[in-house]
Amino acid sequence: MGKQEEFVLRALEERDVRFVRLWFTDVLGSLKSVAIAPAELEGAFGEGIGFDGSAIEGFARVHEADMLAKPDPSTFQILPWRGETPATARMFCDILMPDGSPSYADPRHVLKRALGKAADAGFTFYTHPEIEFFLLKGKPGRGEQPVPVDDSGYFDHTAQGGGQDFRREVITMLESMGISVEFSHHEGGPGQQEIDLRYADALSTADNIMTFRTVVREVALSQGKWASFMPKPFTEHPGSGMHTHVSLFEGDENAFYEAGAEYQLSKTGRQFIAGVLEHTPEITAVTNQWVNSYKRLAWGGEAPSYVCWGHNNRSALVRVPMYKPHKSGSARIEHRALDSACNPYLAFALILAAGLKGIEEGYELPPEAEDDVWSLTENERRALGIAPLPRNLDEAIRIMESSELVAETLGEHVFDFFLRNKRAEWQDYRSHVTQFEIDRLMPVV
Amino acid sequence: MVLSRLGFRDTQRAAANLAILTDCSEELVTQIASVADPDTCLASLARIAEADGGCERLVGLLESDDELRLRLLIVLGTSEALGDFLTRHPEYVTDVAADELLRRPATLEEYRAWMRQASDSASLRVQYHRALLRIAARDLTAVTTFVESSGELADLAIATLDAALRMVAADEEKADATRLAIMAMGKTGGHELNYVSDVDVIFVYEPTENADDTEALSAATRMASAVMRLCSEHTREGTIWEVDANLRPEGKNGPLVRSLTSHVAYYEKWASTWEFQALLKARYAAGDADLAQRYLEALTPMVWSASNRPNFVADVRAMRKRVVDNIPHGDRDRELKLGSGGLRDVEFAIQMLQLVHGRGDTDLRSRTTLLALHALTEGGYVGRRDGAALEEAYEFLRTLEHRIQLFRLKRTHIVPEDPEDLRRIGRSMGYRQSPVDSLVKEWQAHRRVVSRLHEKLFYRPLLDAVASLPTEGLRLTQSAAEQRLAALGFADPVGAMKHIEALTSGVSRRAAIQQSLLPAMLAWFAESPDPDGGLLAFRRISEELGESHWYLRKLRDEGVGAEQLARLLSSSKYVTGLIVRAPDVVALLGDDAELVPHDLDRLSTEMELAARRHSVPDAAVRAIRRVRRRELARVAMADVLGLLDIAVVGEALTAINTATLQATLAVAMSAYEQEKGPLSVRMAIVLMGRLGGHETGYGSDADVMFVHEPLDGVADAGATKCALWIAQTLRQQLAVAGDDPPLQVDADLRPEGKNGPLVRSLSSYAAYYAKWSDTWEAQALLRADAAVGDADLCRRFTELIDPLRYPEGGLSESEVREIRRIKARVDAERLPRGANPNTHLKLGRGGLADIEWTAQLLQLEYAHEHPGLRTTRTIAAIDAAAEAGLLDRGDADILIESWRMVSRIRNGVVLLRAKPAESMVEAPNDRAGLAHLIGDGADRFEELMDRYLKITRQARKVVERVFWD
Repeated sequence: MGKQEEFVLRALEERDVRFVRLWFTDVLGSLKSVAIAPAELEGAFGEGIGFDGSAIEGFARVHEADMLAKPDPSTFQILPWRGETPATARMFCDILMPDGSPSYADPRHVLKRALGKAADAGFTFYTHPEIEFFLLKGKPGRGEQPVPVDDSGYFDHTAQGGGQDFRREVITMLESMGISVEFSHHEGGPGQQEIDLRYADALSTADNIMTFRTVVREVALSQGKWASFMPKPFTEHPGSGMHTHVSLFEGDENAFYEAGAEYQLSKTGRQFIAGVLEHTPEITAVTNQWVNSYKRLAWGGEAPSYVCWGHNNRSALVRVPMYKPHKSGSARIEHRALDSACNPYLAFALILAAGLKGIEEGYELPPEAEDDVWSLTENERRALGIAPLPRNLDEAIRIMESSELVAETLGEHVFDFFLRNKRAEWQDYRSHVTQFEIDRLMPVV
Repeated sequence: MVLSRLGFRDTQRAAANLAILTDCSEELVTQIASVADPDTCLASLARIAEADGGCERLVGLLESDDELRLRLLIVLGTSEALGDFLTRHPEYVTDVAADELLRRPATLEEYRAWMRQASDSASLRVQYHRALLRIAARDLTAVTTFVESSGELADLAIATLDAALRMVAADEEKADATRLAIMAMGKTGGHELNYVSDVDVIFVYEPTENADDTEALSAATRMASAVMRLCSEHTREGTIWEVDANLRPEGKNGPLVRSLTSHVAYYEKWASTWEFQALLKARYAAGDADLAQRYLEALTPMVWSASNRPNFVADVRAMRKRVVDNIPHGDRDRELKLGSGGLRDVEFAIQMLQLVHGRGDTDLRSRTTLLALHALTEGGYVGRRDGAALEEAYEFLRTLEHRIQLFRLKRTHIVPEDPEDLRRIGRSMGYRQSPVDSLVKEWQAHRRVVSRLHEKLFYRPLLDAVASLPTEGLRLTQSAAEQRLAALGFADPVGAMKHIEALTSGVSRRAAIQQSLLPAMLAWFAESPDPDGGLLAFRRISEELGESHWYLRKLRDEGVGAEQLARLLSSSKYVTGLIVRAPDVVALLGDDAELVPHDLDRLSTEMELAARRHSVPDAAVRAIRRVRRRELARVAMADVLGLLDIAVVGEALTAINTATLQATLAVAMSAYEQEKGPLSVRMAIVLMGRLGGHETGYGSDADVMFVHEPLDGVADAGATKCALWIAQTLRQQLAVAGDDPPLQVDADLRPEGKNGPLVRSLSSYAAYYAKWSDTWEAQALLRADAAVGDADLCRRFTELIDPLRYPEGGLSESEVREIRRIKARVDAERLPRGANPNTHLKLGRGGLADIEWTAQLLQLEYAHEHPGLRTTRTIAAIDAAAEAGLLDRGDADILIESWRMVSRIRNGVVLLRAKPAESMVEAPNDRAGLAHLIGDGADRFEELMDRYLKITRQARKVVERVFWD
């Protein structure tokens, strides 16, 4: 207990908050919410609020449904779209077992454990996501094709689609909730938007991404539109990725920076990248967790299909961006496979774990890919030792299944649930007859 | 003069030092030799003389002032650091001269006046050390007691803070804007400081009239930081001590100074139990006295309602765990402060009692540990004799700590190992004859007093609350006792009081013995996840026993036995059941030699002897089963107490059941003779399944097959009839319900299963196996251990089945396919509906079936060429497969570890609930109980579960490769 709880309770009174939403995230990355009255909050801070864990995807084993949600007061925010007075607020929660110990099923705890391991090695982990999504003219019904709000492209100034206004309102709301926005623009596809969040520690960023998705959906709804984070909604347009810049700090020092080294990239940075590359096939089922995710990866463009790194190479999985001179603090690397529909807690935990493994074991960084990897032939890529990313969810699951790194990082409970769930998704997909098949075959066979 | 005979260790150096102190009399040298550390004393004198520009003045003072001589020599013989100080300032030697040194402790006001003479950082240090010199002189010459000198040290610390704050305020431009008070906390507030210690403080400020709050806050913050720096910085005059402000609201993260309102708001809303505990010591130290007074008036009442807060019990447990846990391993035996029974534990325990009972009884509200303990004793909250012994021990240990610290003025709580150090400390505490041995002996004696601290302080007085026996002094009231039980984690204090009353009331011997035993038992129960359950079980046992209380004597005489009993009763229903039905097994506790399982030979002998004393078969089998019950208890108790490896448990339980079958077979055969006439068969019993594999668990059935052979000249039909009668008698006798767990003898693995005849002759087995045998039967025979009954028949049976289970050339492809197909079907069909496939112990992922089938497949395929594989034991088979290169060593280790983990859980659940287990437990109570029983503590189930899921997942991966591919 401390100042933060005190601040929250005071804010409840001052701002006439009538409902507090306790937010947490299920294993697949969906936001869950329990609403309580302010009077219950003091108890929630002390012992948590009980709820039925079996109702939440991936939380409870049979018979052990009782779980507790304990709000993290540092995440307190008023929800701007719920009106000023009376107001509604939210806090993210940690999930606890009835005995008060942290639940191994809680994705937030998974990330906290991974961050704890990094802290033991003296590191803090920062992330900075560029989140892409599509803005559509209303929610498509079952079997209908989604229709984008406009027909523009990258950086276009679109007068008609309303994307500009939309982004402005989203950004205003995010800023009012203490989430800083770095940059926003129209993306390559029609109706496609990108909004970049300011870098922050990975836990805050993951919380912010969850908030971001909600804010975007709420604003879209309020304007009679529909926002979708689906990785690849249109066959003919690029998908929605979540390129994420990551960096490690040792105290105030950026551990990726070394003056005079190639690309100012330190040994730690090189080993981190090597770790990420080495373990990427194992973690892809989490960074790209849907059947649909792999259609984005297959399409090319801004999405990588091969495991390699490069300096300003947009076809590489890991890109080392150019730093502004004299800004050692901004040294970072960009992970380009992540998509906007991942569970950010689990995905960040795994990228961190893979990178740390590289540092722990002193992995050697393979040579940089200087060419556009897409344009190389299969055998050229083989010669260069550039492996493909898993080509579909099935492949990704199979590789993940035998990964001790992933099991260790996620914990056995989440690891097992995740695999079971994804196997089922693949099984459903595999047995589904698609429009593609009908269009191809019906006329001729 | 012979320096070495006088007691100098380094005579060369001593002679050199004496040469510096010319003109010093022989008498003086003899006196130097009599102090705690003569070498150090002499060396310091020589250094002081040199610093003084010659020894004349010093020797003159020593020779002329008897009091100065006594004090100076004793101080220099105990503290090298004070010698350093006097070397820097030889002029202050006269501080301990006859007229200078008070013959009583100095008062706080005197210290304030003294320290206020300082004008800068250097003079503050000099004043401080001069005062310290005198405190040490008074302390070491027994002018002051421990309570007085530790009080003086606290007052000196407060006066130092006061002087420092005045100096700082003089330099602060905006000092007028703010009122600042320093509250002394911890041992300073408690008026019981060490020679060297951090000084704990809390700062509180208030803007003066019309002053701007922001300005006041920043001025107060600057002054507070400056005071801390002023006291702790290292200068040529050394340092004083660290000022520690981390007890403040929000600790390190909170603002250094706070307004009174902000303090109050914090304690009203956010403070944890430990913060109230800390607040117990708060005392005005320096700065604005009025503000400090208001601070104390506002906050003190909250201390006394802290025990009503909802998390109090859990907090106290967690706090005590922290107090007891954090002890660096290497220094465990020499640590005075940390660990169970350390000084901090004593202080913690007393503070807890103050918080629990001080609410209703203002007499208990002392800041000082010893005074509080005294008040608790006077008020009847602590037993009179225990209280007095603890006071003595605490004072001794603190004095020892003081003497250790004085030498170098270093903050340490470790008793040194070097005999020279121990000699000095021992002599300084008055042990002149063999100082090292005496010191260590005395130290250990006091340590023993403290070691059962909680039992004495917390639990023994509970008995007085219910017992009608006269006690010295006051007794604990019923409601105070209930409050205390609740604070100790008993969920139902009223019920617990009834149990305690039932156990201790009356004047019988039983009651008397239980009165002395119960406090310790209660303390041990309170450490388990279910204290109420443990206490209830203890009461049940006591009532079952009636007046046959020899066992209580056993417990009373042997502390270890009582502790073990408490642990057993509060963590295992299975063991509790055995003890309730057969209390004589308690005799096995307390002596680890008694908790070693007996081997098969010894068990067989015991059972046969027991049976032989009875001529009636029923009685003979009952006697056998009594031995079995005792031996089951021996193994289960040793297991719960963590004395047995899982493999040893399996062997031991197997030996018990084997001996039981052996002895009962003999009884059944002689019963046949008595009732039916001469025997017409030889008989043997083949152990199968887990029994054959020497992997019996608690509650396992005995899987067997019966083999017989007609005696020469007997017709087959008659022989079979005879064998059947014997087998049925044996099964029946062992299955009868009784005071001991029955043994179900299960023969379903015999040829043709339930439809086949219960007994077969050896030749019938031979005929059957020659004609009909399936692969699954060969697989089952891998576990066959023909170990009971006629030895020759056993041998020939083994010869019969070896070619089946170790087939020449291994398995054909179709046979391998068949085994895999059956396993696939078992996996799919046997798992009960709704069971979790990951945590089912037998059929789950990486569970027992996975591992055993894998081992058995390898055995069937390769045992013909690798004799090591010809074993009925799973682990031995896996090891042999690894040695033969059939299995990767890493894979083998994973399979073995998983098998051991699952087996431990399987046994653990039976021990916990006295019911067989199919799956990992789910209910919250069971999870806490299981984690307490075999994990790292009741609150660590999630970790145990994660380990379980991990190793079984890895095992399944191996099984996938080895069994299925």
